[in-house]
Amino acid sequence: MTLVQILFLLFGLVTLLASLMVVTSPKLVHAAFWLILALAGVAALFILLEATFLAVVQVVVYIGAIAILIIFAVMLTRRVMHDTGPQVNRSWWVALLVSLVLFGGLVLMLAQVPALAGTPAPLMVDQETLLEDLGRALVDADRYVLPFELASVLLMASMIGAIFVARPPSGSEERSGER
Amino acid sequence: MNAGDFSTILPLLLVTGWACVLLLVDLFIPRGRKAITAALSALGLLTAIALLLSQFGLEREAFKGMIVVDGFASFLQMVFLLSGLFGIALAYDYVRRQNIERGEYYTLLLFTVAGMMLMAQAGDLIVVFLALEMLSLPLYVLTGIARPRPDSEEAAMKYFLLGAFASGFVIYGVALIYGATASTRLSEIVAVVQAGQAIGGLLLAGMAFILVGLGFKVAAVPFHMWTPDVYQGAPTSVTAFMSVGAKAAGFAALLRVFLVAFPDVAPAWAVVAMWVSAFTMAWGNVAAIAQTNIKRMLAYSSIAHAGYILMALPAAADPAVASDAVGAVLFYLLAYAFTNFGAWAVVLALEKKDGQGLAIEDYAGLGARRPALALAMALFMLSLTGVPPTVGFVAKFYLFRTVLQADLVWLALVGVVTSLISAYYYMRVVVVMYMRQGEPEVRSEGWLNATVLLAGLATFIFGLLPAPLMGLAARAGLLTFLR
Repeated sequence: MTLVQILFLLFGLVTLLASLMVVTSPKLVHAAFWLILALAGVAALFILLEATFLAVVQVVVYIGAIAILIIFAVMLTRRVMHDTGPQVNRSWWVALLVSLVLFGGLVLMLAQVPALAGTPAPLMVDQETLLEDLGRALVDADRYVLPFELASVLLMASMIGAIFVARPPSGSEERSGER
Repeated sequence: MNAGDFSTILPLLLVTGWACVLLLVDLFIPRGRKAITAALSALGLLTAIALLLSQFGLEREAFKGMIVVDGFASFLQMVFLLSGLFGIALAYDYVRRQNIERGEYYTLLLFTVAGMMLMAQAGDLIVVFLALEMLSLPLYVLTGIARPRPDSEEAAMKYFLLGAFASGFVIYGVALIYGATASTRLSEIVAVVQAGQAIGGLLLAGMAFILVGLGFKVAAVPFHMWTPDVYQGAPTSVTAFMSVGAKAAGFAALLRVFLVAFPDVAPAWAVVAMWVSAFTMAWGNVAAIAQTNIKRMLAYSSIAHAGYILMALPAAADPAVASDAVGAVLFYLLAYAFTNFGAWAVVLALEKKDGQGLAIEDYAGLGARRPALALAMALFMLSLTGVPPTVGFVAKFYLFRTVLQADLVWLALVGVVTSLISAYYYMRVVVVMYMRQGEPEVRSEGWLNATVLLAGLATFIFGLLPAPLMGLAARAGLLTFLR
């Protein structure tokens, strides 16, 4: 077993355990911190895959923005800091069974993929060329400019929706005044 | 790239841009005059319809195959735009009397219509996913627009969680298919599969995940659990729009992805789709019998109809029947849109504040009180059952015929038997309306009445003279890449 493989297993294990803690810890703040660890584990996996740019994006966007945002949201709402109910419902064992079957099926299927059998060859392309290509692809009308712009429209639509959901019911003061 | 590429997505761009502008314009429209916003959004949809009509019959790819324009896309885009118009007409008075009138209602409605239109012409799995999110996210918010009413909030939460779960399935499926074929472009996937270079296991798993995710969206059994709760909790005008638009968009994606990208692995998915369809028809119709709330009953009815439409997927796996099956689905979706919007409009007319007036018993005496409305409702119920002379009968007949052409006799039999079962609960509404005594409180609102009239006329006239519409649907084929 090479050093990279040991590192991979280690990071994978950390990610898995942290994700498990995210869903099982009863305190929302703890869950948010475990989430940061899980996301950092994914970033480490990206580095092992020689996808350094994705690793940086993972850290900046997911840890730097999303996880911190969750912590802020928890801090500002301050109402439900602690979940008092049980973390699982009655049919947890069915869910466990289904996920295990699905996991087993996926592992069996991935084991048959020929490209995954041997040690992967190191990346032949220069990282900078790769990054430049990614940047160009997103603004090239013949490549991915359309999905890129569509994603921005999608984000705006969801932002409008999120603001609408988060704002206190509009006109509630006026209506209470009328009554 | 050229200007022609942009012309293919012009109606879509118009709706999206209009939604953004409307958001700004709405700021200057005082509260209590939000009817102007509704009128403006309807104007946007009408302009988009005009644009769409001007380029009807266009068949080409754009943006290197990411966008496909063909008869299928144009026909469905027309259905979505009409659904949007009906959705606005139904919301117009309803949101005011329910005290949930907000300008954002119409903006979000336009965004989800844009997502549906994109879904109809997506030629790339990435675009399919983006379209799916673009139509779903505004719908989650619209479902919860009646907050702080608890049932609306609960429905929105359920819809959001399960919808996000379903989207996760779709995107994982897309990733696996990319792993199997090294492409997300539908045209390239089919080429790789035909050349025998795809990795079989990954491809099958990816297809299964996409089928599960889209099965959630169209509410097929066993992924239907959210439907009754969400349909019941959402404001009725939203439910009406959702039951037609979101379902049609889900089927647009199912047909496009499976018929265009995976025709060579058809035996694998056809079997799964066949069983899902059979279970959906059976469970939707049986569970609907037990319902006493009309919104829940129509929710189960919409599950059952998802089962009927899904019959076309295994039928289309037979290349000889494929184009007929696509035509049957398109005609069925349009027929379902007319009938369903009519039925929901009647439900809206009887709904009172705080969710009262939604029990089927509340329809007692409607026949004597408002004969025209009761007649229209009876017509819609007949059409949902599939009794002549309504458009629902023609649509079912057309669909069952293509299923028989594909030699799936038992599936067609399941369809016929479950249709007979469905007659029980649809006819119960008619019986209650005409045979029971009662004094229902019915509203008479301009746009509601207009919707009922228009939907009723369409249901009746296209039931008698389906030929022109059917010809249009039959010609509206998919643009396939390798014939």
